[in-house]
Amino acid sequence: MITDFPDHPMPPVDHGATAGELAALGGDPVIPAGLRRTNFPVVTKEDVFRMLLAVRTSPDKVVGDFAESYRMYVGARHAIPTASGTASLHLALVGAGVRPGDEVIVPAFTFIATAQAVVAAGAVPVFVDIDPSTYCMAPDAAAAAVTERTRAVMPVHVHGLPADVTALRALCARHGLTLVEDASHAHSARYDGAVCGSLGDAAGQSLMADKNLPVGGEGGIAFFATGEAHARATEYLDQHGIDYGMSWVAAAFGAAQLQRLPYYDEIRARNAGELSAALLPTGLFRPPHVPAGSTHAFNMYRVRLDPGAVGLEDLPVHAVTAVVHELLVAEGVPAREWQNTPIPCHLPFRDRGGFGNGYPFSLNPAAVRDHVPQDFPATLAMLESTLVLCRELRSPVEHERLARYAAAFGKVAARPDAIRTLVADGDFPLPYARAARLG
Amino acid sequence: MDDFGTALVLTRVLTTGVLMSIEKNDRELPALGRLLRQATGRAYVNLVNSRSAGFHTSLVGQRVGHGDTIDQPDLDARQRAFVEWLGIAVRPGAGLGGRAFGFLAVGPDDVSTLRDRVGSLPPAPALVLDLTGLGFGPAAAVLTDDERAWARGERLTIFGSFDLRTMWTQREADAELVPGVQFNYRLSPLVAACLRIALSPATSRTDAPGAIS
Repeated sequence: MITDFPDHPMPPVDHGATAGELAALGGDPVIPAGLRRTNFPVVTKEDVFRMLLAVRTSPDKVVGDFAESYRMYVGARHAIPTASGTASLHLALVGAGVRPGDEVIVPAFTFIATAQAVVAAGAVPVFVDIDPSTYCMAPDAAAAAVTERTRAVMPVHVHGLPADVTALRALCARHGLTLVEDASHAHSARYDGAVCGSLGDAAGQSLMADKNLPVGGEGGIAFFATGEAHARATEYLDQHGIDYGMSWVAAAFGAAQLQRLPYYDEIRARNAGELSAALLPTGLFRPPHVPAGSTHAFNMYRVRLDPGAVGLEDLPVHAVTAVVHELLVAEGVPAREWQNTPIPCHLPFRDRGGFGNGYPFSLNPAAVRDHVPQDFPATLAMLESTLVLCRELRSPVEHERLARYAAAFGKVAARPDAIRTLVADGDFPLPYARAARLG
Repeated sequence: MDDFGTALVLTRVLTTGVLMSIEKNDRELPALGRLLRQATGRAYVNLVNSRSAGFHTSLVGQRVGHGDTIDQPDLDARQRAFVEWLGIAVRPGAGLGGRAFGFLAVGPDDVSTLRDRVGSLPPAPALVLDLTGLGFGPAAAVLTDDERAWARGERLTIFGSFDLRTMWTQREADAELVPGVQFNYRLSPLVAACLRIALSPATSRTDAPGAIS
């Protein structure tokens, strides 16, 4: 029988794991080849049994029960389960009252679905820069983008860290706008004690299989603060014949995973805390910033590089980041970029064909901008100086694996000489000079 | 497929398969695509997560978009509402150029005669198969012999096969393939696995639900 159970246990960290030459230069990697696979999502006998029970249950009940259970967990008033996160964002916008030709303020740094959902609603995304410390929408940038045609502000709780909801709520109140959360990274993330998805007038959230709460493949859920918003979204689906329904197969898997979500949350928080404590002494690596009052869900863990802390301040930071990326991967740490250019510079937002013939951009030409990456300096600074871990902290990884990730960061940080040599020997284009990546 | 067959397939995918639908090593979606190509004789298949997604994909594949008009008889009110939501006007006749797409809803009783039923449909550049009736939730497939129509349809879906093949890089050498609005119409591997087994009699009447690869 095929199995995804590991062949061998991860050995504990010992001095030999970190004392030798860098793996990229011929040494042994901190995480041995063959032990690098991280299984996610975790599938237990409860998942299997719940799926078997669902086979004998009405599909509508399976989907409805899951949506209701998760709605209660989040603390939202109303919910609509959907086939995808993009669909949930679309419905959240519609429920919040966004109409064709409206402007919706979104961050330039997010997954492309945030902005595409705005287009799906017939509105025009207006892109603004991020806060340099949280990587979420900068409230002052959002305030500067408000016009008479702005209908909504749509922050993204990037990587699982809640956006500055207090400031954005105040902005919305001042201008009569609605607040629509993109909570696709933020399952169980909290802001002043409230769970993301329940903070705005509406919210959309992906439940695809790479998220902290995964359904079996693709799925999503839209949340609404009022019955009116929920009814508006429901009527919209009926009126326009849009099939956004979630499969019962996905819902059954999600229902089982939901029961273990608090356990997984604790594991991620523990892992992130331990890794952050290990990164601080390296100097080169800075862990994610978490403001007081926020609970980070760590769907992703973005590490900032500080070359000046190890005597590399004279080198281009993006070149240092690129070299460190290569060194970490060689050590067995699956670090990655996760985005390399602002979303408005992706093809669909440069070309702006929309649904065809430029719709809906043609409804509001004044809101359309031909952006260049340099329009978003905080986003560029982040892209040039950070690397991301994704599922590595997410599943209940062995403690030995986490310790080896930490050891690998330490091993690389201890070799500024090697980083300097590799930077001098290489050619490193700026991240946003390369083709835009979706993830 | 009976409950035992469904349960067996789901258990097999849950315990040994790929649940991450954006994984390059997912085998369920390509396998379902192969089966549908064999069962219908069409060269290309877009797999999507609903009937309306199938309509949208077939129209985008033919470069039909907002402001255009199609000839399409036999749409019910809901189907017509969706096409009109896309900004596409509908003439109810077949027109000189024929209908924009064929449509067939597939249920458990239709599987063994799928090829014949597809063959009996009026000609159209694309065929939307609504697979929802097979019982695993909303699902559809768009069948065509036009590679570029397939390619445009794949780009309508975020994380479509184009994105996976390029490791999600949005770069196009061909301006005609640049995506506009995109939705996540991607089908779940779990659902695809169930559909594949349910549809297996369409290609081999001796296949049993237990014939799991």
